[in-house]
Amino acid sequence: MNPHAKLITTASLILGTTITITSNHWAMAWTGLEINTIAIIPMISKSHHPRAIEATIKYFLVQAAASASILFSSLINAWSTGQWDITQLTNPTSCLLLTAAIAMKLGLVPFHFWFPEVLQGSSLTTALLLSTAMKFPPITILLLTSNSLNPPLLTLMAVASAALGGWTGLNQTQLRKILAFSSISHLGWMTIIIIYAPKLTLLTFLLYTLLTSAIFLSLNTSHTTKLSTLMTSWTKTPMLNATLMLILLSLAGLPPFIGFLPKWLIIQELTKQEMTSTALTLALLSLLSLFFYLRLAYSSSITLPPNSTNQTKHWYTNKNANPLIAILTSLSILLLPLSPLILPTI
Amino acid sequence: MDATLLLNTSTLLTLTIILTPILLPLITKTPPNSPPTITRYVKTAFIISLIPMTLFMYLGTESIISNWEWKFIMNFKIPLSFKIDQYSSMFLPIALFVTWSILQFALWYMASEPYITKFFSYLLIFLITMLLLTTANNMFLLFIGWEGVGIMSFLLIGWWHARAEANTAALQAVLYNRIGDIGLILSVAWLASTMNTWEIQQAFLPSQTPTLPLLGLILAATGKSAQFGLHPWLPAAMEGPTPVSALLHSSTMVVAGIFLLIRTHPMLATNPTALTLCLCLGALSTLFAATCALTQNDIKKIIAFSTSSQLGLMMVTIGLNLPQLAFFHISTHAFFKAMLFLCSGSIIHNLNGEQDIRKMGSLQKTLPTTTSCLTIGNLALMGTPFLAGFYSKDLIIENLNTSYLNSWALLLTLLATSFTATYSLRLTILVQTGHTRLPPITPINENNPLITNPITRLALGSILAGFLITSFILPSKTPPMTMPPITKFAAILVTLLGIILALELSNMTHTFTHPQQNTPFNFSSSLGYFNPLTHRISSSNLLNTGQKIATHLIDLSWYKKIGPEGLADLQRIMSETSTPMHSGLIKTYLSTFALSILIILIFH
Repeated sequence: MNPHAKLITTASLILGTTITITSNHWAMAWTGLEINTIAIIPMISKSHHPRAIEATIKYFLVQAAASASILFSSLINAWSTGQWDITQLTNPTSCLLLTAAIAMKLGLVPFHFWFPEVLQGSSLTTALLLSTAMKFPPITILLLTSNSLNPPLLTLMAVASAALGGWTGLNQTQLRKILAFSSISHLGWMTIIIIYAPKLTLLTFLLYTLLTSAIFLSLNTSHTTKLSTLMTSWTKTPMLNATLMLILLSLAGLPPFIGFLPKWLIIQELTKQEMTSTALTLALLSLLSLFFYLRLAYSSSITLPPNSTNQTKHWYTNKNANPLIAILTSLSILLLPLSPLILPTI
Repeated sequence: MDATLLLNTSTLLTLTIILTPILLPLITKTPPNSPPTITRYVKTAFIISLIPMTLFMYLGTESIISNWEWKFIMNFKIPLSFKIDQYSSMFLPIALFVTWSILQFALWYMASEPYITKFFSYLLIFLITMLLLTTANNMFLLFIGWEGVGIMSFLLIGWWHARAEANTAALQAVLYNRIGDIGLILSVAWLASTMNTWEIQQAFLPSQTPTLPLLGLILAATGKSAQFGLHPWLPAAMEGPTPVSALLHSSTMVVAGIFLLIRTHPMLATNPTALTLCLCLGALSTLFAATCALTQNDIKKIIAFSTSSQLGLMMVTIGLNLPQLAFFHISTHAFFKAMLFLCSGSIIHNLNGEQDIRKMGSLQKTLPTTTSCLTIGNLALMGTPFLAGFYSKDLIIENLNTSYLNSWALLLTLLATSFTATYSLRLTILVQTGHTRLPPITPINENNPLITNPITRLALGSILAGFLITSFILPSKTPPMTMPPITKFAAILVTLLGIILALELSNMTHTFTHPQQNTPFNFSSSLGYFNPLTHRISSSNLLNTGQKIATHLIDLSWYKKIGPEGLADLQRIMSETSTPMHSGLIKTYLSTFALSILIILIFH
């Protein structure tokens, strides 16, 4: 991409995010969201491939509709209460509409249909941005308005997200789609707890960002986008392949890794709020996503592929490994013992 | 001399003598046993065992010997104790006498057998376990003896193990006996848990004994003594050599079930249900076996069914609450039945393996001793006055006639008595009289003392045993003294009826040219259709149930459909349902979004 274009796009992204995060007025929040939408469009359509273009259009349409809904909800609230404060959202219709709009922005069920295709159409780094950075402003808005949201609707959407994310992800072989469904599933976990303990939502989101970044960057190094390519990635980057398995297991929420921490705390909080059956359902449904993570780990590290490789190790002289991978991988595997430090700070 | 001391010593000496050929080679390096040696051991044991019997007859001495105690559980005594009372002190000499005769006969019968010493050792081990069973004072020892005779029966029936029918017969014997063992274990367990003892003397309640353990005992007797329901193994057991049939399946092993009921009879006496069950079961068994014997053509099978019928009669006696009489019948029956088997063995070997009575005839002239003793045995079996069988059988029928019990059982027993006469006479006519139907060159020679001595000895016993036992042993219950003449002569009358019928029928076989098939004949010759029905149905049911439970229920259902595979299937279905929702059409997506928002807003 043209360096100028890249600079403008990146700067716009940062600007948009910052505006939304630091806003008090609904108009500023909406502005930031719109800037983000427009800024990411060139990044998605970078490769000028028909699929990328289609992804761009889908993304734009959905995000525009969502932003418009946010604006409508703030308008309804302003009409009935006369103020535009983000934290003072009191009109019930407004709350409902906002919940739906944020769900559409994030990709919660039943507003999740766009997410896998958009992710599939973009490159791995753009997909990373879409999964992590683009979700940050909506999550912030969610956090700010957490006491105005509609609990039953949120719970329903969260459990449905975990369920559909798990079930649909079982049938995928493209890695970006798998990670899209994993994102939907994790969003389910994030939204279930926002009413009771918003800090846990933030924690989940941050850890999710950490893990997803690690995965996307590792996949980017070996240019793997589908399961069959993943099976031969051990020849290209054996060490990264091994750590990829561990990061996947961490994302699944297995105990020695950091991915366990949010799940554990969310279940604890839900149980304290007498929502044990919800906690149980959520935990059981995340078994589904565990299955496809395990499938990825299995095909990348645990078995050797059925297709033959020409030689045992491919020599890649231009391994453009992002230095960030080292930090992110280490954190995602080893951070759990530091959880007492993490908890008071968020 | 203290009578008890003499009694104990001689009994233990008897038991030790017959144990010696088995145990001595294990301890010292003696030359291996030979069959004549074993025969001599048993003869010695018989002579020694006469001492306790004489002591009991003249002085009424009875005792219990307890030696060692198996300290297994602290408050439950399982001693090694022998009971020497009327039953065991009388059974010991009779069993040893019969065994001695049979072993002597087997010296000739199995002379060409390469493993004859092993055969004799098996018979000896059988005898040891049988005597253990009869002298046992507690159920533990009785059970050891019980299982021992069962195992030895299996080994001996399948002696010619290269023959497929012998193997199946042995297995059949073991299976049917095992079903009976369930009953025995049930009652033994009930005894241990309720009475806290395994000694039969301690097991008597003044009030009515619960029916469950008695049902167990009756089941055990049904299995071991081939009552109706668990009877097919006895005719099939004729696959074994004739000495085995003579010893096990006529005199000793098959009476073990009846002996058990005799030993535990005070428990039975208080429970009318159990007594009625014994009565009816015994009546049914005796009639059924007698019916089947009418049309058999194998000489050994006829005698086997005759044994089965007499066992039914013994069960009837138990049902009449007359254990002493049942034991009396056991004793007299041992003599003539063993003799019948030995005669048939002599006939079979002399006719070079021919067992079909339709191919024998006119043996009275060629095998005089054997056939005379065959006649004596048949007469004793029929209950001819003043032979051995008369004393026990007639007394049983008199008691049956004069008791206020089930008249259906009475009718069946009388019918069976007449059938006994019929088939015995049929046997005699076809084997001994008429023109010979043998192949021309059949070298027949019974001049060996090993044949004639045992048979004549047992013939003497068949004649005198009844008289001797009634003279010396006092009955414990008052026998019926007075009855109308027709009742008194009932047994003889039905026997005569049976004889006349047999003579008439055999006359008809000479004059009829075209024998027709008829239903009663088919019923009798196919043994009441019992074997194909039960064997096929029960095994196929069991296997089907096994498949349903093991394969269908557990493997397929629990482990697969309801368990992991079913779960995986559910997830697959959900996955298949949810994947086509992502059709890629943005209009669909946007309409879904709009619809969802609409529904959310409406619901509020």
